[in-house]
Amino acid sequence: MFRKGSKRVKSSTMLLSVILLTSMGLTACGGNNNNSEGSSSPSSSAKASESASPSPSASDSASPSPSESASPELKPYELKVLWEGPAQKDFPAIEAEINKYLQPKINATVKLSTLDWGVYTDKMPLLIAGRTDMDVVFTAQWNGHANNVAKGGYLALNNPDLPVGNLLEKYGKDITASLDPTFLEGAKIKGFNYGIPTNKELAAQGGVLYRTDIAEELGLTEALNNVKTVADLEPILKTVKEKKGSSIIPLFMKDGETFNTHYMIQHDYLGDATIDGLVRKDGDDPKVISKFEDPDYMAQLDLTRKFFQEGLINKDAATTTLGTQDAMKKGNVFMITSSMKPGKDAEFGNAINMPGKIKQIDLGPRTVSTGETAGAMLAISTTSKDPARAMMFINLLHSDKYLNNLLNFGIEGKHYVKVSDNVIKAGPNAADYNPGVAWELGNQFLNYTFETEAPDKWDQFKKFNEGAHKSPALGFTFDVEPVKSQAAVLINIAKQYQAALETGSIDPKKAQEWYDKEKKNGLADVIAEKQKQLDAFLASK
Amino acid sequence: MEQTVQNSGSALSKPVNQKKQNIGYWRKYGVFYFMMAPALLVLLVNNYLPMIGSIIAFKNVNYQTGVFHSPWVGWANFKFLFSTSDAWNITKNTIIYNVIFIVLNLIIGVALALLFNSMRNRKLAKFHQTMMFLPYFLSWIIITYLVYGFLNPEIGLLNKTILPWFGVDQPIDWYTESKYWPYILPIVNTWKGIGYYAVFYLAAIIGIDKEYYEAATIDGATKWRQIRSITIPLIRPVIIVLSLLQVGRIFYSDFGLFYQVTRNSGPLYDTTLVIDTYVYQGLVVTGDFGMSSAAGMYQAVVGFVVVFTSNLIIRRISKDDALF
Amino acid sequence: MAAANQRVKSVMDISTPANTAINVFFWIYSAICIIPLVLVLVVSFTDEKTVLLHGYSLFPHKLSLSAYDFLLNDWLNVVRSYGISILVTVVGTIVSLLVMAMFAYPISRRDFKHRGLFSFLMVFTILYNAGLVPFYMMYTQYLHLQNSILALMIPYIVQAFFVLVLRTFFTNSVPVELIESAKIDGAGEWRIFAQIVLPLSLPVLASVGLLCTLNYWNDWWLSMLFINDNVHINIQYRMYKALQDLQFLSSNSTAYAAILAQNPNFQLPSETVRMAMAVVGIGPIVFAYPFFQRYFVQGLTVGAVKG
Repeated sequence: MFRKGSKRVKSSTMLLSVILLTSMGLTACGGNNNNSEGSSSPSSSAKASESASPSPSASDSASPSPSESASPELKPYELKVLWEGPAQKDFPAIEAEINKYLQPKINATVKLSTLDWGVYTDKMPLLIAGRTDMDVVFTAQWNGHANNVAKGGYLALNNPDLPVGNLLEKYGKDITASLDPTFLEGAKIKGFNYGIPTNKELAAQGGVLYRTDIAEELGLTEALNNVKTVADLEPILKTVKEKKGSSIIPLFMKDGETFNTHYMIQHDYLGDATIDGLVRKDGDDPKVISKFEDPDYMAQLDLTRKFFQEGLINKDAATTTLGTQDAMKKGNVFMITSSMKPGKDAEFGNAINMPGKIKQIDLGPRTVSTGETAGAMLAISTTSKDPARAMMFINLLHSDKYLNNLLNFGIEGKHYVKVSDNVIKAGPNAADYNPGVAWELGNQFLNYTFETEAPDKWDQFKKFNEGAHKSPALGFTFDVEPVKSQAAVLINIAKQYQAALETGSIDPKKAQEWYDKEKKNGLADVIAEKQKQLDAFLASK
Repeated sequence: MEQTVQNSGSALSKPVNQKKQNIGYWRKYGVFYFMMAPALLVLLVNNYLPMIGSIIAFKNVNYQTGVFHSPWVGWANFKFLFSTSDAWNITKNTIIYNVIFIVLNLIIGVALALLFNSMRNRKLAKFHQTMMFLPYFLSWIIITYLVYGFLNPEIGLLNKTILPWFGVDQPIDWYTESKYWPYILPIVNTWKGIGYYAVFYLAAIIGIDKEYYEAATIDGATKWRQIRSITIPLIRPVIIVLSLLQVGRIFYSDFGLFYQVTRNSGPLYDTTLVIDTYVYQGLVVTGDFGMSSAAGMYQAVVGFVVVFTSNLIIRRISKDDALF
Repeated sequence: MAAANQRVKSVMDISTPANTAINVFFWIYSAICIIPLVLVLVVSFTDEKTVLLHGYSLFPHKLSLSAYDFLLNDWLNVVRSYGISILVTVVGTIVSLLVMAMFAYPISRRDFKHRGLFSFLMVFTILYNAGLVPFYMMYTQYLHLQNSILALMIPYIVQAFFVLVLRTFFTNSVPVELIESAKIDGAGEWRIFAQIVLPLSLPVLASVGLLCTLNYWNDWWLSMLFINDNVHINIQYRMYKALQDLQFLSSNSTAYAAILAQNPNFQLPSETVRMAMAVVGIGPIVFAYPFFQRYFVQGLTVGAVKG
């Protein structure tokens, strides 16, 4: 993985050629010429600069020691880095610290900025439309990645025909070495990667979280330990209802947090989950069907309705905007549905101030679909004036432990203090730098863990990732463009029924009405288009 | 200045006359163009130059290649507006609510203004005016929470406290029963916005010359009579302008009211889905500004036709009251 | 007070029962308007858990200041945002009133040949709006006004709706004879505008001014579009952002866990913070109304004198 020493001379010359290329202004022919040259040497320039610096590299050390052999050949460049989340007060201090470390490595400085939660989805399309100057940008399937790619916002990172060449191959060696290939394969759009996925948990699984204190009080612990399916929950919830009356809501649901959401019923909607037309994630059949053709879905609706009518689910489930976490915090909720990962219960218990009082039950198999692989990525903007440098930076975030943790947790002794080698706790100035978005930036397996978390968190994650069932449509993202008017109609129809039906608030008979309405409004077109694109994708594989 | 105008008016030789007239016109009215220049400049920047960009309604835009070089797609972006089986329902909702709002804003707004104006105690009148205006300060988000505070099926004020007073014990599930919303929405809209319209009507009434009323009182006209034959006719131009401008936006609706206050609850769509919310939801999925541009164009064209027609009719009746 | 009553008595008097009825009506109506606002205020001081369990109440079981604690822990920024809001609102409203009145006056003159054309140019901007993207590109690509306070003012300077209202008032409440006689006295258009038209139109200038003030004050949208730094944002947008963050944090355990790691006792108040934000956001502007109201009354006086 880490070739050192022997390659040093050669990679330095490589580096030089890359520098010449970048300083020439990335002309079209220049890029192509270099591409053939680049592939002749397996070692990328980012690699080169890294191996040129002796001490800090991916795994062995986390101490800042700027390399002696700086790279004066690379022109100074300011990378504009943008992610989603709250802005941090200490950005200038972190920038200065990063620059100190980064300048000798790739002669770049950074300018950090963020778009707030909830603002991102509205504003990113505008920044793209306005051709705003950006380099490294956070993106994800759930915040408009496919649309922004279609609008020309992000650069293809592994397209050798582009003037800049295959960036991933040239400057992203450490990424391809450390990242499970499923990530890159899954996050592709029309054959290319437009963002580098964060290295983190890959599989998805559904389940429920419940309050252990209430369970013990009512003597339900054993019953809960034996739960295998959603139906098994019914007698337990009924007991809670009988013994606790109206003081406890047995099961809290809301729009998007139900038994039918994507992680529990194994649907892969091939993109946006609000447009009907899916394949089963846990199966192998690449035939696109309507959700109404899936008997499991219909059965789940009936069961949820039964729960609702028995008073096991909150009455305002269809319209409440209260998050499940807030609901639990209220103290009068016994159980919620949730997506699962190792240590979810501990994390959740901390988050709602009930440490140790929450336990998780995993339901159903672990699966992987495009949605999971493209859930957090770093893209390079088409407005970047030096995409190569941007790629080098992303590569470092995936491989350089010091840089990764500096960006994610701040400066040691100031924003965090070390408890042991890889375990930290909040420092005196933690409030001034605490982005809390490690899952957005690079490689989570390099992250320190907080002392409240399991120290073997990352090992657990690795195990969780292993052996997950791959959706037959993994790597495929539906391009809505050819049927976008039908899709716009279907989404409105779905909004009319989905939340109410899936929380059990209305009669499942309404599902037929929904289905009929979809059929009247171009469902066949959408499914045919999805199938056509999926078939083409599978054939090209 | 006056001299020039008179001269030009009586001149005989035609070309000279023309020229003189022009000079006279510019000397007399040229200053008007200076007065209008700043506003025109702002309009140009804000409205007219960006209109060139609305060609994206006919394009499939890729910003990397640029708006002007993106491929044309004809009417494709408009298709989704009409391709739904709910098209009629959405259009109907949009128009009917707007008509109700316009009528309520007019009748209640004028009525409140008249009442304020006839209160004996001026200080009290001022106090009540201020109160009436308060809801306008609240954003739709806050109003959404307030409405939810009332209508929450479990702990809402209405189900928990008020309805039991009237002997209704069965709680009503307000957010899944669409039949109540044709009443709830106009009430909320009027409650929030009526202060806005009342202020204009009040300003108009205050501006009326008191001599008219004095003369009428001497003639022994009743209060009601005075309102009918003096106040209303004199504020008619304001009524026409305010109402006509609302008519021009008959295909638009207040997003905050229809999306947030209803909590975008699906089961209510029969009576709450309007063009703007419909388009917004489509946009979230497709992320295509071309489609929203297309919808905007459609809304504008309809509004334009309606306003143009009404304006024409008003012009026939009374030229001075016409908008343009 | 007595004098004011005296003056209007002969003209505007109504019978006592009618007056009582009107009074009763207004007390009820005012209550309907004010109670929700009081509710907002009370909820903002209520304990979070009390709200979640028992709903909104004017008489909560338990009070708490935690919502304001949460909002104001960054009070320096809040003060600066207030400053920006006030600056934009005051300057924006004055410029806007002047520019709009200057446009409205010519098109209110019946003898001005092009009044129809220019009125139409106004009306058209109400009917048709080019959409967000071209507008955004105009300001960022061509005017380069990102992160500039000007971008928070210019878009709202000319509001066609207000211009047409002003025009209607000028047409109706400024007598043509007055303008004619001023002209005979040798006054130019600028002087007529400044010394006759504007003073006679105080009530409408006050109404439009009030609504302009509100437009500027309540706007967070322009800040969201054009302000990317964390410095030049106004109070409404600061509140809006806080709301968005709050909503996200309450549903994102990863981000929230990080905050908790540094402060285990951290409680995220949500419902109450929203209300506190409303209070912080509308607090000062509520006092603007009486200020403008003074000019309504002044307009009344002028109206009485002019006859």
